[in-house]
Parts: sequence; structure tokens; C-alpha cells
Amino acid sequence: MATPYLFIAPFYLLYVLFMLAPIGVALWLSLCEWVGLGTPHWVGLRNYHHLLTDGSFQRALGNTGVYVLVSVAVIVPAALLIAQALNVRGLRARDLWRTAYFVPMVVSPIVVALVFGLIFDRHFGLANAVLRALFGTGGVDWLGDPTMARVSICLVMVWRWTGYLTIFFLAGLQNVPRELYESASLDGAGRLRTFRAVTLPALRPVTAFVLVTSFIGAAQIFDEPYLLTGGGPSEATLSVAQFVYRAAFERQQFGYAAAAGVVLFAVVFTVSQLFNRLLGIGRPV
Amino acid sequence: MRGPSPHLTRRTLLGGGLALGATACAGHRAAAVRTSGPVSLSLWTHDEGYETFFRTGIPGADRRTDFRYRLDVTRAGAADLVTKLLAQAVAGRGIPDLMGFEINGFPRMLRGDIAERLLRDLTGDIAAVPGLAADLLPARTAPYRQDGHLYALDSDTPLVVHYYRHDLFTRYRLPVDIATWEEFAEVGALAHRRHGIALNAVVTGSDVNQVVQSFQMLLNQRGGALFDVEQRLTLDSPEAVEVLEFLCRGLRDGFVIDISDYYGGAMQAALKRGTVAGLAMASWYKVYGLMANVPEQSGRWRIRPLPRFSRGGHATSTAGGTGFGVLRGTANERAAVDFLRATWLTHEGQVRRFRRTGYLPTRRSVFEDPSLLRTEDAYLGGQRPFDVYTTLLADVPPVHMSPDQSILHDVLSGHLLRAYRGDASPREALREATEDFRDQAGR
Repeated sequence: MATPYLFIAPFYLLYVLFMLAPIGVALWLSLCEWVGLGTPHWVGLRNYHHLLTDGSFQRALGNTGVYVLVSVAVIVPAALLIAQALNVRGLRARDLWRTAYFVPMVVSPIVVALVFGLIFDRHFGLANAVLRALFGTGGVDWLGDPTMARVSICLVMVWRWTGYLTIFFLAGLQNVPRELYESASLDGAGRLRTFRAVTLPALRPVTAFVLVTSFIGAAQIFDEPYLLTGGGPSEATLSVAQFVYRAAFERQQFGYAAAAGVVLFAVVFTVSQLFNRLLGIGRPV
Repeated sequence: MRGPSPHLTRRTLLGGGLALGATACAGHRAAAVRTSGPVSLSLWTHDEGYETFFRTGIPGADRRTDFRYRLDVTRAGAADLVTKLLAQAVAGRGIPDLMGFEINGFPRMLRGDIAERLLRDLTGDIAAVPGLAADLLPARTAPYRQDGHLYALDSDTPLVVHYYRHDLFTRYRLPVDIATWEEFAEVGALAHRRHGIALNAVVTGSDVNQVVQSFQMLLNQRGGALFDVEQRLTLDSPEAVEVLEFLCRGLRDGFVIDISDYYGGAMQAALKRGTVAGLAMASWYKVYGLMANVPEQSGRWRIRPLPRFSRGGHATSTAGGTGFGVLRGTANERAAVDFLRATWLTHEGQVRRFRRTGYLPTRRSVFEDPSLLRTEDAYLGGQRPFDVYTTLLADVPPVHMSPDQSILHDVLSGHLLRAYRGDASPREALREATEDFRDQAGR
């Protein structure tokens, strides 16, 4: 009688131990004040109340919103277009192109930050040198100006993630039956019409997956702003994940960090569910 | 093939598990303190130089104490070590006996009662050595004090001096004996207009600690401070406004250059091109900044005391440092204290530390050591650096820290950059930084 339960027990035991228990502890911790040592003090919803009025957290939410928007509205479509271009018949050096687009994803984030830090340096950077050579002006403070710093982070995101997502679309495109394109061609559909009527519907499951994972990834973005700008200047690039890290591991405010983490989790979970319903993930095409 | 042992029953397994658990729990309790004999000290540090220093100090420590030392060293990033220490402390096992706290990581230990719980108060250990308490420079014990307790001993007295390119100063006929920052501003503006060089640098990159450091070095020299001895914020002061106005003027007139960080590619480019012909920085910067980035400029650099602010302040200030503390409640607590005293605090140890790492002594008397006074530095063109350091020693301001220092660095760095860019006046920037700090530190 108990044998089947014993067989599946290891999974559930580990699931409870390493998934549910940490979430439960984080929830409990979010209702406490704790410096990382000693006994946490129960403060009820005070951490959440403070988050509501914390300008830093609001800035972090706003910045993360920008990163999500860039990810969903710029990176995903760009990845799709690049995949479409790479899928064209007769493309020369196809593997080289694919590798070139994928390489940014496998480069260490530390190296990325180092290289882009040099590229975006105001006095000695490559970006301003190119601008000076082309247009005679190149005093852009890429990482020091709040707006430009946000733009720089987004540029690095695009550079780093587009190629990675391209791989998913490329895999999807290769599974679209060739007959559908032949039929569209016989019906006199042009390239744009074929793309809208054949490619996009056929890629719907892949697109849904890419959208949801991109959203979750961007909502929890940490590496790029942490390494490139440290969240500055004036918290102009601070992300929520970075806010959580900062509160916990730089300021020893573990309860406050846990509360911010819970808010992030709630937002990501809710929006992911919305995406799931809107895009019909898991339902037959 | 042998089957399972007939003695291995469920009961014995359960008993074994309970015994294992009991052993694990027992590990949490403080073990008996060792008082002599062989001891293996667990040392955590972020810097290989310290590891080498302590290892080479073992024979001396063996002679001076009742212990026979062995070191078990763990090296990791400075911030990671503090995180690891707290995690181990929560787990109740695996904490080191001796640990180095990089100065910007130490404020985390000041939050709540963390320092009191984990670190030994070294005040009594210092007092037990005749003359030592009076000989240690108060400026270097202040950062590691809380509520009158001393929790760590610094590795350095990182005096801030003005580094300058002697060859460029000679070529451009720039004076090297500038008495005040006000005169420095005039000379610097002229030098920038004529030769395109900067005589000082401020950091405007992503490392908030470096951004604040550029400002704090001059703020402390001017007589201001970020925090007072009671850990209260003292940023919104006339001294702070004056210093920030000076730096903003420097950026406008070009004698101060904004740079993304003190050590990276941008600084290297600026140094190689000769754009940075001088900068105010701590004594260790020669080894870790200049020699690391521009070894080929050996012999061209010199140091001199900082110009003074005519309205008052000190001869110098300090920047950086690493405090070594002893963990409480371990079996090796006494051995660690003795080891620290026998290596870190002896006259010979402090001279050796300077030779190995470039870090200046923290005992006033060691600065008078004839071998140090005679030291000629090839990178500084044969200059005797202790001729400069000893003139500053009588007037080194203390730096006090607060558990909220990280919050201040986050908010202040942003407002400093706003002032540097001209988006806010220095007074506004400092007032708003103070307001933001009060808002965030209260959470």
C-alpha cells in the first residue's frame, strides 16, 4: 500500500525541503526584523509598509519595469527577426552566424561588464571615440548620466540575450512544415503575408515560452546593473533583485530584503500566470 | 558477496543517527580554550599579502608565545567573507579564529549586536602589553570601535598624500610646494589650460565606495566627517560643502578629472597618457594603483603632503584599511590573540609588514625605526617616503563608522555625481543626501 508513496517520497521530500520550506521561511522572515544573527523580531507588516513608501524600492520597481519592457518588446522581436534571417535558405556561413549571435550568452558576465565598462567610459571609451570620429562629438556620459546609464544597461541586455533567444526561435522555425510555405507561395502570399499567416501562428508555443521566460529573467535581472553600474548613478539602474541583495548582504536588513523578495515573487508569479492565460501555454494549438 | 551485517538493525541505525545529531549539536558549544601547545589557527582573509605575512610570522610567534602555530587559510572576496562568517555563525560551526575585515565590510558587523556576539573585545589584550595602547595610533583604532570596545586591529595607517609626476611638473615648471588647496586650484587650472593635465582625480563610476572615498579623503582632511564617534551622521556641514565646492570647481576648471575607478582601464589610460599628473590618494596606492598600472613610470612619481585648506582641518586623512579581529568562544581564542600580538603588533612585525605589503605601521614608535626612515623608494625616484609620512603623523584625523555606512555610500554617491555634473549645487546635494539617508536608515 505504501510502496508507491515511498517511491515518490524522495522527490517530495526534497521539494519540500529545498523549495517550499525556503519560501515559507522567506515569508516568515519578511514579517520580522533580523540582522542576520540572533533571534528575529516579529514586526508584522511593517516591512511591507516601509516598502510602500521607500523611494529606492519604487525606483527599483520602475527600472525593472523598463528592463522587462525592453526584454519583451525589443529583445524577443529582435530574436525572432534574426532567427528568420538565419533560417533563410542558401545563407552562407550559417553556423558562423549562429555562433556569433550565441557567443554573448556564454561570455562571463564579469568579462561583459569589464569590456562594456571600457567601451562606455566617458573619456577613454570606444563608444565616444567612434562618435567623435563620425560626428565630431563624443562626450556622452554613458554610465554616469542616469538616463544614459539605463540606456547602456538595455543595450547590454539586447547584446547579451538576443542571440540566446534566437536559438529557440530558430529551433521552432525548423519545425514549421515546408508544405505550409509552399501552399502560401501557391496562394500568392508575399514574404510579409507568409510571415504573418504561417510563421507566427506556427511559432506560437515557442513565442509563448520565450516571452514568459524573458519576462521572468528580466524581472529578476541582477548581473548587468550590478556589474556595470552598481545600480547607480543615483539608483537610476537599480533593479529589484539588486535591491534585495543590497538590503540583505550590504545592509544586514534580512527581514526587509525578504519582504522585497516576496513582493518580487508575487509580481512575477501573477504576471506569469497572466501570460500563461493570454498565450494559452499548455493548450493545444 | 557478503550480505548486510546482522548487527545493523533499524534500532542501531536510529541510535547512530541520534548520536550523530548529538555530536553535531555539541559542536555548537564552546570548546575548552587551548592555552599552549600545537594549534592550527583558521585564518580568513581577502588578501594574499596578509596570508604571506602571517605565515612568515609563525617562527617568531612560536618563540614569543606558548603555542606552536599552524595556519589554515581561507581566501575569498572581502564582502563574501563577512557573509560567510555570518552564515557560519548562524550554523554555529565553522567560524574562523582570526579574520581580516576590509574596512568597507566592517560596518556590517556593527549592525545590531553582531560584533559583540562574534568578536572579542581586544581592549584588555592591548592594555596588557605595557605602552602599547598609547603607542597605537587612535586614528586607526577608531574605525573598529563600538560602544568603547575595540573589535579589530588595522593593517595600515593609510595616510593620504599627493602623488605627482615629477617629470611633468619639472617640464611644465609647476611648483611642488603648494601650501593650500586654494593655490593648488589656481596652479591646476592654469596647468590644465596650458597642458591639458589634471592634478587630482575623483571617481564617478559604479563603485559607490570609491565615489565616496574621493570626497571623504578631503572631507576628513578639512575637519569634516561622515559620522561622529556616536555613529551619528555629520555630513551636512560647512566643511563638506566647502570640499564639494572645491571638487566641483576642479572638475569645471579641469584640474580635477572624473575617472570611472582608481584601478581600471580608464585610470591606466589616463596615467599612461600623462593626463593624470597628480592625485590625492592613500599611501598604499603606489603599490596597488601606480605600480600595478604604470610600472614603466618608475622613478617619475613623487609624494608630498597634501596642500592644506586655509580655513582649517588636518595635515592629512586616511583611506582604506583592513582590521583583523579574533572570534569569540572558539577553542583557539587565546592562541589567536597571542598570535596577533606576536605578529601584527610587534615592532619587528610592523616593519616586516611594511616591507612585504607596503602598509604603514599602526604604532607611532615604529615610524621612527631607523631602517624605515632610511628606506629609499625606487619607484618614487629614490625619495625617502617616511620623510613625508612622519611629518603627517601628528595630525591624522580619526574615521568613525556606522552600521548604516553602506546606506550613506549608496545615497551620497548619487548626490555627489549630481553635484559634479552640475545638476545640483553642493549644498543641495549634501542636504538631499542627508534627507535620503535619514529616510532609508530609519527602515
